[in-house]
Amino acid sequence: MTEDGGLWLLLAGPAGATGLYWALYRYYRNTDKSHAFERETAVEAKPVTGSDHQVSEVIGTQNTRIAGDNVREYRKRVNRA
Amino acid sequence: MSNTGFPPQAHTGPGSPRDVPPPAGTFPIDPATLPEPIRDELEAPDPVAINTAADELKDGLNRCQKCGSTDIRHKPSSDRLVCLFCRHEWLGIRVEDAFGLGEGIDQLKGTVVASGAKDIGADAASLMSFKCTGCGAEVTVNTDSAMTARCHWCRHVFGVNEQVANGAVPDAVLPFHIKKDDAVARIRQFVDKRRMFALKAFKEQFTPENVIGVYLPYMVVDGNVSAEVAGKGEIETRSYTRGTDKNKQTYYDADVYQVQRHVDFTVDDLTLESSAERGNLNTLTNTNNIINTILPFDTKNAVKWNASYLIGITSEKRNQDVEHLRPRLEDQLLSIARAQVEASVSRYDRGVRWESERLSVHGTRWVSMYLPVWLYSYQQPGSNKGMLHYIAVNGRTGETMGSVPVQHWKLLLTALTVGTFIEGLVLWFLGASS
Repeated sequence: MTEDGGLWLLLAGPAGATGLYWALYRYYRNTDKSHAFERETAVEAKPVTGSDHQVSEVIGTQNTRIAGDNVREYRKRVNRA
Repeated sequence: MSNTGFPPQAHTGPGSPRDVPPPAGTFPIDPATLPEPIRDELEAPDPVAINTAADELKDGLNRCQKCGSTDIRHKPSSDRLVCLFCRHEWLGIRVEDAFGLGEGIDQLKGTVVASGAKDIGADAASLMSFKCTGCGAEVTVNTDSAMTARCHWCRHVFGVNEQVANGAVPDAVLPFHIKKDDAVARIRQFVDKRRMFALKAFKEQFTPENVIGVYLPYMVVDGNVSAEVAGKGEIETRSYTRGTDKNKQTYYDADVYQVQRHVDFTVDDLTLESSAERGNLNTLTNTNNIINTILPFDTKNAVKWNASYLIGITSEKRNQDVEHLRPRLEDQLLSIARAQVEASVSRYDRGVRWESERLSVHGTRWVSMYLPVWLYSYQQPGSNKGMLHYIAVNGRTGETMGSVPVQHWKLLLTALTVGTFIEGLVLWFLGASS
């Protein structure tokens, strides 16, 4: 066991307490719930069209995802063209 | 002119608003004789309004087709009306069939507003009075919370059936299917799963029998839209580790793409709260998100407006017009568009960052409806008027959602205890491994 690994483990207690508090709070208060209209509305879409062009490349990053990934955050609005 | 003390006299000659207006859609010159660009403009379709007013109910009396009695009730767990005098039953007409609301969404152009969804008049009053045709008495209905009343002299039942400009009369109503006993059972079941950390006062005062049925106002919107999104996507080309055994780090190489997507789609019966108060989903100050969560309703089965469905049930009045709701509609349409294009960018395994989006709304159709909700509420005291907690049951599907107030010290103590236990385990593990 390294010194560094041991210190990381010490965070498990506070993290567990915070996680449990928020999980139970949400279970009671349901503040994160709303109508899932993206899934629950009858939508008829024509086939999606579009284009993809390579513009650059990233070498040697440690991030596992693209910065600002919002592909699943449908409700987060971006610049309106 | 020297008589400056008087306002200028309104223009009253030909072509002024004092003229009797020509029939709608007519033009004094035959368009066929005009140049093509002008003709095209003249012959383009006008904004369509669907008239959903029921002429037969205009005097406020909904009479049994067999015996003429006005003592009409909604038959529980069905969409039928029943005459309490002769027991004759009949079914309301589905608005979907009556006005063709489910059809031609992909052909929608412009904004089509059903007559019950029209703008609310600035001078429209909530109180409406009827002259009873039975005895001549004046009967008043406060449309803020009720749509029916009984004549206190001759016992005739009145309903507000005429579409007045105060927003109280919608195009359609979806009758309750879930009975009160069923709603009470669902609320009890919901709360039973959330008792351990619930506020003590809430548990002591919990009486789900106090649940009330209420018709809440909604706009049900069909839309024909196109959306375009653009951004950057990344595909991983290589991953490798650097460093020695003790300090290993993983690195990634990736190709970056400019991604653009376009999708044309139609939505059928998107449901929006048409009361400003209910549409405010700020969870710091209210629990309206609970009522929002129990959407959707089977709005396809909504029947043509008839106040007899509302006897004994309270209702809330619509106070938002089509233009007020348009920003929320566009926001939801953009969200739907983003969900629709997600599958087409699955090859970007490091994700996509959408940077711009565009929405073109070709056509929308707005119908106002009263939808049935069972509501149980609990007022939690506190600073800033406290918090009003709702437990809501969808009056059609039975979907239940609620907000149960929390006993904070109890929850905090439990979380700290568990955290301390985990920390103890960690310390024991570290002590054993060193």
